[in-house]
Amino acid sequence: MTRIEFWTLTRRLASYAVLSAVTFIVCFPLVWALSTSLKPKSEIFATPPTLIPHAATTENYKALLTGRPQYFQSGGQQVTSGTTPAQFFTRWFVNSVIVTLGSTLISITISTLAAYSLTRFRYWGRTVVPYFSLLGYMVPSIIFVFPLFLVMVQLNLTDSLLSLVLGYVCITLPFCMWLMWAFMRSIPIEIEEAALIDGASRLQVFRQVVLPTALPGIIAAAIFSMIVSWNDYLFGRVFLNSLDNLTLTVGVMLFFEGTHVDWGLLMAASVLMTVPMAILFMALQRHLVAGFGAGAVKG
Amino acid sequence: MRAGFTLSDRAVGLLFIAPFLAAAIFFMVYPVVEAIRMAFYSYNPLRPDLSTFVGLRNFEFIFADPLFWDSFWQATVWTLLSIVFQTVFGVAIALLLHQALPGIALFRGLLLFPYIVPTVVIALIWRWIFNPEIGVVNYALQSASLIKEPIYWLSTPSMAMASTILLNVWKYTPFVVICVLARLQTVPLELYDAAKVDGAGVVRRFLDVTLPQLKEVLIVVIVFRTIWTFNKFEEIYLLTKGGPGTSTFNLAVYSFEQSIANLRLGVGAATGVVMMVMLSIGSIIYLRVSGFGQDEKSP
Amino acid sequence: MTTRRIREPSELQIGRRQVLTGMAAAGVTASTGLGSAFAQSTRTGVVRVWGEPGPYGGVAVAAMNEWAQKNAPGLKFEIESIPWDGVYVKLMTDLAARRPPSLISVESPIAMQLMAEGLLTPVDDLVEKIGRNRLVDGVKWEYWGAWKGQQFIIPAHHQPHLLLVRMDIAKELGLSDPDTWDWNDLLNAAKTISQKKPDMAGFCMALGRNLCTDYHFSALLHSAGGKMFDAANKFEVAFDSPQTVEALTFVKELQAYMPKGAVEYSFLQVVDAHVTGRTAMSFYWGRTLGRAAEEAKPIFEATEAFNHARHPTTKRRSNWNDFQGWCIPAQNNPFVDEVKQALIYQQTSKDWLIKYCHSLMPNVAPTYRDVADAPELRDHAFYKSKPRTVDTYFKTSLAHSSSTANELLQGVNPLAGIVHGRSVLAQTVQKVVIDNMKPQDAAKWGAKELSDIRRENMRLLG
Repeated sequence: MTRIEFWTLTRRLASYAVLSAVTFIVCFPLVWALSTSLKPKSEIFATPPTLIPHAATTENYKALLTGRPQYFQSGGQQVTSGTTPAQFFTRWFVNSVIVTLGSTLISITISTLAAYSLTRFRYWGRTVVPYFSLLGYMVPSIIFVFPLFLVMVQLNLTDSLLSLVLGYVCITLPFCMWLMWAFMRSIPIEIEEAALIDGASRLQVFRQVVLPTALPGIIAAAIFSMIVSWNDYLFGRVFLNSLDNLTLTVGVMLFFEGTHVDWGLLMAASVLMTVPMAILFMALQRHLVAGFGAGAVKG
Repeated sequence: MRAGFTLSDRAVGLLFIAPFLAAAIFFMVYPVVEAIRMAFYSYNPLRPDLSTFVGLRNFEFIFADPLFWDSFWQATVWTLLSIVFQTVFGVAIALLLHQALPGIALFRGLLLFPYIVPTVVIALIWRWIFNPEIGVVNYALQSASLIKEPIYWLSTPSMAMASTILLNVWKYTPFVVICVLARLQTVPLELYDAAKVDGAGVVRRFLDVTLPQLKEVLIVVIVFRTIWTFNKFEEIYLLTKGGPGTSTFNLAVYSFEQSIANLRLGVGAATGVVMMVMLSIGSIIYLRVSGFGQDEKSP
Repeated sequence: MTTRRIREPSELQIGRRQVLTGMAAAGVTASTGLGSAFAQSTRTGVVRVWGEPGPYGGVAVAAMNEWAQKNAPGLKFEIESIPWDGVYVKLMTDLAARRPPSLISVESPIAMQLMAEGLLTPVDDLVEKIGRNRLVDGVKWEYWGAWKGQQFIIPAHHQPHLLLVRMDIAKELGLSDPDTWDWNDLLNAAKTISQKKPDMAGFCMALGRNLCTDYHFSALLHSAGGKMFDAANKFEVAFDSPQTVEALTFVKELQAYMPKGAVEYSFLQVVDAHVTGRTAMSFYWGRTLGRAAEEAKPIFEATEAFNHARHPTTKRRSNWNDFQGWCIPAQNNPFVDEVKQALIYQQTSKDWLIKYCHSLMPNVAPTYRDVADAPELRDHAFYKSKPRTVDTYFKTSLAHSSSTANELLQGVNPLAGIVHGRSVLAQTVQKVVIDNMKPQDAAKWGAKELSDIRRENMRLLG
């Protein structure tokens, strides 16, 4: 082994060691949540705590996915005690999926069209819009939430998933707009011009040339939008009222705010609500770096 | 087109931007204007019929309220510390990840993962692992003899602040990593080779080559994260509700509590206006350092 | 809008109604046929009902669904449990969103705030049908919520917090009978336990910025003879007083023997501390025993509840009593009539009321004599193993009842709900236990907050 090879190897090993240590610390909370979610009640509070459950069980997941009710004793009978959060878990999950997809679809459509228009046409005000979007992107939700809530009251839309879809459009659109604008700007205009000269219409050019080229940007914007919508708590908390209509984040907090915290159930719920984002993230990780590079850091 | 109907370029441009303008006016401009208007009204959400114009009284109220100033300073502390740690860890992790090692994609995925985990989930996990009596963190620290008494992570003002900062750093360091990584990928390798030829060591190369290249992106990221972190609501509200006492209040939590618990939507809105003024200043700094606007003149 | 079909001849209806009134007046509670006085409803939908966390809300709703099956087959009553610490957010957003539930079960300060704001439907007609003379001894209808001569709230249950003591520890350390204690004895007991039991706190109450702390502190304030507002004097603020200072000082003294984390404790953590054996004594409602029975049998067996320790000079043993009642929002509530009928059905069914109490013993105490005295109510394991404790929760505590909505039982106070919404009492306590402010200064701070509330809400005082 030459000296250079030796140093390379040592450096690599050192890098792996540091990377592993950092990754362990960063991932530990999630791993611990997963571990807790797989433990039976008796093992959750065991000392010493176990990282890998001795008697792993899927009870907590079953309870959430089958909506198991609670019972109590009265006069020797088992009586159901009415609704428990676990009974609504799958419903909340579906609600979250609906508002996430709905708001993302709307944000992406609007921002892609707008970004194309802003970067390919000349009209008054076209340079102002991106800055305006940037500002909107920075305005925190806490400022939007109550006025928008009063708008929803006026429109008679409170306690509906639609109100939340519109609310999420409001918080995701500025960033999507800005990101798409930055991305569209970086796409060379020559190909489109060539297509136009060849006799294609604007719409054809948009569909067949622009959209495919802009796809990485669209994906990045969509990931961002989905993360924001799926993870939001504030809007859901203020806009939604009845149990049937809650989203996951708002509903899962109900498991916590009761008088009795079932940590196993709570951690299982946490894991389940992280999984969709994890899948999305794994599938589209590369785009995230590329897209954020374009948007957040300016290309 | 086929039916002999062709949209002029200008018409297509306006058509494409129209949905954005409609959405922006309805869901961004209007709520912000409404938020500003509400700041001048006394508004009890339970009794909208009693809403009255009160001039600057809401602003007088917040500026005379010690809790507003506490919230402001606490937000400043929480923001500064969060940003320092995020930047340091973010750059360090990005450099670690910016190596051509087998399996680096896996590490990158795991280290960026916290960014997409819902805040509700992190807050719940935090409350579970940092529970002073039954949490695994105290258990681990105690069994490693690092501490004798359990640490009350959320029960003393300074520890609660530290815990919220820890959560914020954990969740948002990946954002810095993403941005820095994107920039690192564009640093020409020749720069390093030249430095190597000059005999510069690892530290020198970082200070002389890497850091200057990262300067721009870091300033942008820091300004960005400062604006966001200062206005964060969910991270604090879900973990500590601003407590113990009011020791982790920031302006967003203050605004929320005034609006809902105190039924003073006007005071909450006035707080929002103050936040908006501050973030506009931040945005101007951002626009300056990022160089937006300058390149508009030379397309 | 939906229509209502009249299925029965109106003469028959009147006849039944007369019978009904007669039955209720006589205190007869058999419930068969009650619903038929009400023209069958053909409306459909979900009737949202709010309750606090716990099974009893579910039981009440089960009773209402039984009514619905017979009288409004298209309706389904659904309970939403509202965590206490989230109740104000929920109230604000749902009422402001014009999406109130059709029926709310909530404790008296909040109920009375809604009542005074004019957001509730009067229920005097229901009182007659349910039975005006049925209330247990020691309570009045107005404790739940009456205003300007009208009743707005129907009792759901009463629910005091008391002093829970681990008798095994008390015995081991030779402590005297907690029933005879005054404040000094309580403090000394907490101290003795803390010193002799290293792994255990002597005492635990909530000290966080939340409703639980408000309620725990109120009991001490009222024991000392203090109050927030003077109901007899146009609700002038009476908080900046020696009594408040005394109560705050006592909390500060007790804090030395509480778990360190108590400064952020709310309802949940106080129960946790007791049920996991981390404290020997605590202030709490009956729920602690219910949970201990499920999770920690030995702790359940060793724990008894007592009326609070006497104040050394006033001799008061004031507790905090929730006086939890049913409210019917007046605005944007499509189901007022149906809810009233279902409520009558549930409130006149002894079976259902007993099930309600049994669902979490001894947390929810019966409000009607016929239920409280029913042998079936005593047919429960807790009543057999802890008759004195259960009776303290259910009956003898009533002699010491107090609540911020009716301080020292001297008059209904519609401002209390706002006080709790803003956690004024808890924040006053926290000034002392976290910020080390002098009790005198904290009392002044609290008094200022209370006068703000009074000034901003003069309209409620009429």
